[in-house]
Amino acid sequence: MLRSTDPGPSQFDPSESANVCDPVTLEIVRGAIGAAQAEMEALLERTAISAFIREKKDFYTALFDRDGVMAVGSMVPIFGDITGPVFAEFSPDSMRPGDLYWYNDCYGSRGAVSHSNDQVLLAPVFKDGKRQAFVMSWAHFADIGGIRPGSISPDATEIFQEGIIVPPTKLIDAGQTNEAALAIFHRNSRFPEQSLGDMRALMASVELGVKRVTEILDRFGADVVADALAQLLSRTRRLVRSRLAETFPYGTHCFTDAIDSDGHGNGPFKIRFALTREKANGHDRFIFDATETDDQAPGPVNFLMNPGVPGMALGLYYLGGDTSQVCNAGGPQALDEVRLREGSLLWPRFPAPLGMRGLTMMRTLAALNGLVNVAGGGAPAAHSAYVIAIMRGTFINDSGVRERFLLADGIGVGYGARPFADGIDAVYFVAQENYPVEFLEVGYPVRLREYGVVRDSGGPGRFRGGCGIVREYEILAEELVLAIRIDSVQNPPWGIAGGMSGGVGRVTVNPGAADERVLAPLSDGNRLQRGDVLRIETGGGGGHGHPFDRPDAAVLEDVLGGFVSYEAAERHYGVVILNGVVDHAATRDRRAPRFPVLAFHRREYVDAIT
Amino acid sequence: MLSPKSPLSVAVDIGGTFTDIALLDRTTGQVWRTKTPSTPADPSKAFLTGINLALSMADRSAGALTQVLHGTTVATNMILEGKGAPTALVTTRGFRHVLAIGRQDIPRKANLYTWIKPKRPVPPSRIVEIDERIDPGGIVRLSLDEKSVAEAAEALRAMQVKAVAVCLLHAFANPAHERRVVAILREALPDVAVTSSTDILPVVREYERSLTTVLNATVMPGVTTYIGRLEQRLKTKGVEAPLLLMQSNGGVAGSSTIRQAPALTALSGPAAGVVGARAIAAACGIRDLITVDIGGTSADICLIKDGRIGLTQSGRIGDWPLPLPMVDMVTIGAGGGSIADVADSTLTVGPRSAGARPGPAAYGHGGDLATVTDAHVVLGHLPDRLLDGGMALDVAAARGVVADRVAEPLGLSVEAAARGILAIVDNHMVGAVRVVSVERGHDPRDFTLVPFGGAGPLHGCALATLLGISRIMIPPAPGVLCADGLLAADLKAEFNRTLPKAGLIDFDVANGIFAELEAEAGSWFEAEGVLPEVRLSNRVALLRYHGQGGELAVAWGGTKEETEAAFASQHLALYGFTLDSPVELITLRVEATGRTAKQPVTMLSERAAAPTAGYKTVQFEMGGVDVPVFDRKQLGAGQKLAGPVILTQLDTTTLVLPGWSGVVHPSGAILLTRDAGVPQ
Repeated sequence: MLRSTDPGPSQFDPSESANVCDPVTLEIVRGAIGAAQAEMEALLERTAISAFIREKKDFYTALFDRDGVMAVGSMVPIFGDITGPVFAEFSPDSMRPGDLYWYNDCYGSRGAVSHSNDQVLLAPVFKDGKRQAFVMSWAHFADIGGIRPGSISPDATEIFQEGIIVPPTKLIDAGQTNEAALAIFHRNSRFPEQSLGDMRALMASVELGVKRVTEILDRFGADVVADALAQLLSRTRRLVRSRLAETFPYGTHCFTDAIDSDGHGNGPFKIRFALTREKANGHDRFIFDATETDDQAPGPVNFLMNPGVPGMALGLYYLGGDTSQVCNAGGPQALDEVRLREGSLLWPRFPAPLGMRGLTMMRTLAALNGLVNVAGGGAPAAHSAYVIAIMRGTFINDSGVRERFLLADGIGVGYGARPFADGIDAVYFVAQENYPVEFLEVGYPVRLREYGVVRDSGGPGRFRGGCGIVREYEILAEELVLAIRIDSVQNPPWGIAGGMSGGVGRVTVNPGAADERVLAPLSDGNRLQRGDVLRIETGGGGGHGHPFDRPDAAVLEDVLGGFVSYEAAERHYGVVILNGVVDHAATRDRRAPRFPVLAFHRREYVDAIT
Repeated sequence: MLSPKSPLSVAVDIGGTFTDIALLDRTTGQVWRTKTPSTPADPSKAFLTGINLALSMADRSAGALTQVLHGTTVATNMILEGKGAPTALVTTRGFRHVLAIGRQDIPRKANLYTWIKPKRPVPPSRIVEIDERIDPGGIVRLSLDEKSVAEAAEALRAMQVKAVAVCLLHAFANPAHERRVVAILREALPDVAVTSSTDILPVVREYERSLTTVLNATVMPGVTTYIGRLEQRLKTKGVEAPLLLMQSNGGVAGSSTIRQAPALTALSGPAAGVVGARAIAAACGIRDLITVDIGGTSADICLIKDGRIGLTQSGRIGDWPLPLPMVDMVTIGAGGGSIADVADSTLTVGPRSAGARPGPAAYGHGGDLATVTDAHVVLGHLPDRLLDGGMALDVAAARGVVADRVAEPLGLSVEAAARGILAIVDNHMVGAVRVVSVERGHDPRDFTLVPFGGAGPLHGCALATLLGISRIMIPPAPGVLCADGLLAADLKAEFNRTLPKAGLIDFDVANGIFAELEAEAGSWFEAEGVLPEVRLSNRVALLRYHGQGGELAVAWGGTKEETEAAFASQHLALYGFTLDSPVELITLRVEATGRTAKQPVTMLSERAAAPTAGYKTVQFEMGGVDVPVFDRKQLGAGQKLAGPVILTQLDTTTLVLPGWSGVVHPSGAILLTRDAGVPQ
């Protein structure tokens, strides 16, 4: 069993009286770091070559203190301990100005990156010869070799099939670039010019970050900045711990959720979380335990979860809309202990494949919502995992030449309803954008027939779950092989407090035609040819609250807007609509006998999700 | 007609409280300025009252006017407040949720647990699909089914909308279907404003284009009515001169252009201010400047290099991307009304604002939150009365809110708390200045800072000190620069052609397209009545390395090599590297300008020393100092000033910090320089 009890060097609050950074300067330093981060991200977006980075925007940045503790992160709860893996190979004290470190090694980084496509670049920042901070840029590279174009495939059975592995490496040694390492890396990509351009952009972004943080150090002084970072950390940690204490009474709280399958005929796999709050020596201790989670999968749905992730996610939840707070290692530090079991779905043994870990990661976030909810908190209902469709094949280009293409299309889903608002319709995740229809059709051999929301996919409730997306393509490629990744079909996203579960995803080839076929939701090797129609529908989010409590005007707007059908309005919401108008008398009658509800809903009302 | 024969221009800027008018005889350079209370219920009333006032001051007749220039916030406010006309969108079948989906992202800085997707300006229930399909090469894959358009027209009629936006897939590659749909709908719905994406933004990416077309449609009825009323009133008063309106790109255009594309005026007001600042700077011989326009709720920051105002096509307004050409400025939620608040022993300032009502506590309208203005009052930066004595400040109320809301929770003195509030808001603005300068490859220390707006000159010295800037120019009337901007603005339009497929530069093909665009520009010059001798057009290419997501605008050189070299050096300056990859051409652009006669600026007479209007105790960090106060009207050209000094005038207050000294320029502007040896 893996026990993580030392979440980092800055675990304890600095004594308030010892602060050298006053509240005004703290806010100013925070603003300056935020600006530096925004500038690094803008540079990446404008200069990267692959559509994955420049259009989909799969990249993040962060700043760490001189000990490598994340002080200012991105608003994404998937980061764990980024710097530790580098420190294990290169002692921080041996680092010099101009150094740049690089890795994508999932197992070698204990899940700091969780699939090999993600490249991490990390650089130390010095002032007056002393190491004062680190900056990071992170981006998903479109192809790094491996079993199929795009490097990730539901077919993978070990991580060696998921592209080249880069252990923590010194890419630049005091200004001297290790060109050989880069050459080897790019040579392993099916699209080396994209790899090269993206790496150049990633390096330029870190370089810019080092410059900006140096300026911040010059302006405020190293001690003031160090203290500011320490305060940002302790502030987040304090806030998260106090909110945890408000949510979780003493004792152990459990929640179980599941992913459907690993794409190799196995599943479902249960994710079992327990959070214990106990009192030791007069202090609260929060222990997060995922050891009861099912064994690892043969297929690539394993999620090597860095022990920092649960705290990061809970931290982000508790920070909420408070813009004066920062998402950082204060979240992970709020938990006193994280327990994972080696050989489980969330801590697999090397070299288990990880490429499709996204669906497990998204289910993990939903299960954390469940954990908060069973303890009496107000977290959202469950969401579907975002969907990936990877198409690789050939087409005849304008010059009549057969050309190879790779399209990894990320498709949004519906998010869970909140106790105060509907779930978000049709979004992928934080920061990541779609490929617009017009962009797709200019660059790839497909023509879109439909791109809209899936009616009735949002779980009914006082607050409706978000709706999923339908994307229907006509294939203009000569031939292609499709990988598809959809989860939450057997185990749809649950609703809560009377809200119902969300709709499920589905992939159909040639719908309505004689040769119509439905594809397995997590599968690769699906062959399509020119003229085929591919219809992908994604799942929605769970609802919140009794559907009869949803104002009839909101139900009507949903019906007129194509989010809810007339039938569902009547059946689930008890709202009778005739000719585009609410029939108030019939609605009153229909809503008079309220159907009884239980705590959760997954296809039916249940006391607990198991 | 932009005629040099009898050039008499009037500029009208309508503010929330006052309407400012400036009348200029371009032959003599004489200017008459006046103001009249605004008439919010029907702004055209004050518009005409003001023009008449100015004409009678100058003893000229309405018929003598050759230009009526106007900056309007009608479109801006309708977009920001979501109060445009009820609008529908017509789109290609299969894509009715184009706005609902957007870019399918939760914004990078948002929290996924609490974020709520902003309500679109048109709900999905008012989006109608029609049958047609064009591909990216402009080839029709499914002909337009006119029956489906007729059905759409019926549906739109039933919705009782006032405006309809038409945005079909790939219309930028072939506008035929959009044009036909517009024609059918106009005939079927004669009382409804109908507009298409082809008319406003023919570029790739359906969400941004649909949204822009929708925003254009929602403001169209309101702007059309507004312009119609102005023109009607002008006509009845005997004014024959054309009405020219300020666009977001800093140029003016005739009312017929704006009726077609009212969204071009979304940032009319801030753009006018920037153009005004540039005009006054030019009169002082300053060509490199950074403008900071600070109002009650926001600050607009813009960099002008070599007299040129940068433009961008990736601007935003409120929650929405608006990829129309606009002055490249950064807007942040920091102004005089920005609220300071303490939570969890953290002090934040803005973006929430107390607005005009209740406004700062010091204004005495019941404001009970601490604002930036209250912090200035606590520290003694403002005179006891504002608006030339017309409005008393409630110092005790300002001290009260700063004490209760900030000083006590943080355990600071009231003065220290006030200084903290200002330090934070100044730093927000410094961040924005860095975005337009450092991030664009410019060193702010090479520029003159030009603070304006009602609150700008209070912050000028502090901002310059933080940025290492050693020169400041305070315009003669910093609160009402828009009228000056209108008088100085050129007529401007852009003609773009996005290539169906990005590719390597074919110099001859590109030159052919440029010639076509220049022909379009020529027709526009004719329509706007721009005389040949003041016409100017520039060729610009939008370039990127093969595969990149962002383009750079590069002046089209004499050869392919020259153009590519210019691109490479710009890429290096901005991003720190170049690539060996081929350079791709995305868009060709012709910028057409009808240059306006540069108006001479009123010159002050020399006057060595004005008497002080009194003293004010200012709480600096080192303690209280009695600072002389001057009435700016009393200052003559050549007068020297040594900080600390406070300058009062109707529309603003200027705070000159210790370590800064200045001189009054003959134009009326004040030029400040940082004394040698003063630490940055």
